[in-house]
Amino acid sequence: MEKHNKQERQDKKVVVLACSGIGKVYGAVARETVYELVERLRPGKAVTTCLPLLVIGDPDAKKLVSDHPVITIDGCPKSCSEKSVTALGAKVAKSYQAINFYKAHKELKPAGIAELDEAGQKLAAVAAEELAPVVDDLAAEEDK
Amino acid sequence: MAEFLEATYDKFVFRVKTDYFYNREDFWADIQGNKATVGVSDLLQKSKGDVAILETVEPGTEVRQGQEIGKIETIKATFGIISPVSGKVVEVNSELENSAYLINEDPYGAGWLYKIELTSLQQDQQGLLQANAYFELMKEKLTQISAEMKK
Amino acid sequence: MAIEVMKVGIVSCSGEDLPEGTISRIACRKVLEDLRPAETVTICLPLFIAGGKEERDFATNYPTITVDGCDKRCARISTERLSGKPSKSLLIPEILKKRGLASPTRRRNLGAEEKAAAQAVAEEIAQAVDEVLGG
Repeated sequence: MEKHNKQERQDKKVVVLACSGIGKVYGAVARETVYELVERLRPGKAVTTCLPLLVIGDPDAKKLVSDHPVITIDGCPKSCSEKSVTALGAKVAKSYQAINFYKAHKELKPAGIAELDEAGQKLAAVAAEELAPVVDDLAAEEDK
Repeated sequence: MAEFLEATYDKFVFRVKTDYFYNREDFWADIQGNKATVGVSDLLQKSKGDVAILETVEPGTEVRQGQEIGKIETIKATFGIISPVSGKVVEVNSELENSAYLINEDPYGAGWLYKIELTSLQQDQQGLLQANAYFELMKEKLTQISAEMKK
Repeated sequence: MAIEVMKVGIVSCSGEDLPEGTISRIACRKVLEDLRPAETVTICLPLFIAGGKEERDFATNYPTITVDGCDKRCARISTERLSGKPSKSLLIPEILKKRGLASPTRRRNLGAEEKAAAQAVAEEIAQAVDEVLGG
């Protein structure tokens, strides 16, 4: 029983979802922030999936957001990532607008949509550093 | 008369509110008696992108038509707010402090920038375009800015 | 009143979970900015799905080309559901196989393989645009 519970705790993840909007640089910032979390800062604890999979009804994607806390990062106030999760009936634990990270770090004005420039990559790294403790807190709540 | 004149370019629909006046710098003025509400046109907000930061002048500031009365920084550009009218600023839209996106979401309504008490409307009329004239100007500008819109 | 008529909407998979998703984004932006700037418009897939009126209206009234990173085909399925069958539907693994290119392995900080893949996909999209517009 203890081994099973330990396995369950190890499986507790936090889903981070970017809008990845193709029309705006903050869509690219959102995407890069997610990659910073899932690849560098919190690998194994922060996970992601493709946003459109949720909407076309992919069962694995739907289960992921239903079973784990979700953080959304959107590139514009249209908030497609947040809306896509809530439309499924799943709960968004925390939602962020990528542009607000820029407002807090105006020295890092991003450019480039398909490929972020250096300032954009740095901004994403800074944003991810700020979100990493949020991931930790949500994962810890899941452990209780 | 319809509430808006509309022109479609690519996937974007650009609107001009028919009962407002406009300057050539793409700012509008809704003139009611001796007061005007001013804001950003649909063309300007769509072409410049999502508003990130807004700098405004304080209430009580005297302004002249054509004067820069603040700055808007978007994801693509920083540009001045060019007053379409002369007068005294009596109110700044406080909603924009935390919700600057209203300028993009509702440029002719909730995204208004200032309320200005007018001091020389008769003179200012020469620098203002009625909606139909601004609509024609907007269409000319659209063909020039198509490359900008893709960025 | 419409000012421009001859345009194709490109609907790109956003594929956060896959390297092919990144290739799709980069390739679509190449087409939009360099290869066919006058003939193309990108449709933001998340916005399209979430109800973006401009995206949906355009996709209903103009031809579309979907570009997917995997065989789940989110871009094609979404376009079919929301605005009608796309004029062409491209799948990145098929393009790479046809061109003899290796599958990409990185979602970001792209290497030479990923850049070659993006260029190849961009060229295929551009060709598809030409075919749709009858060029």
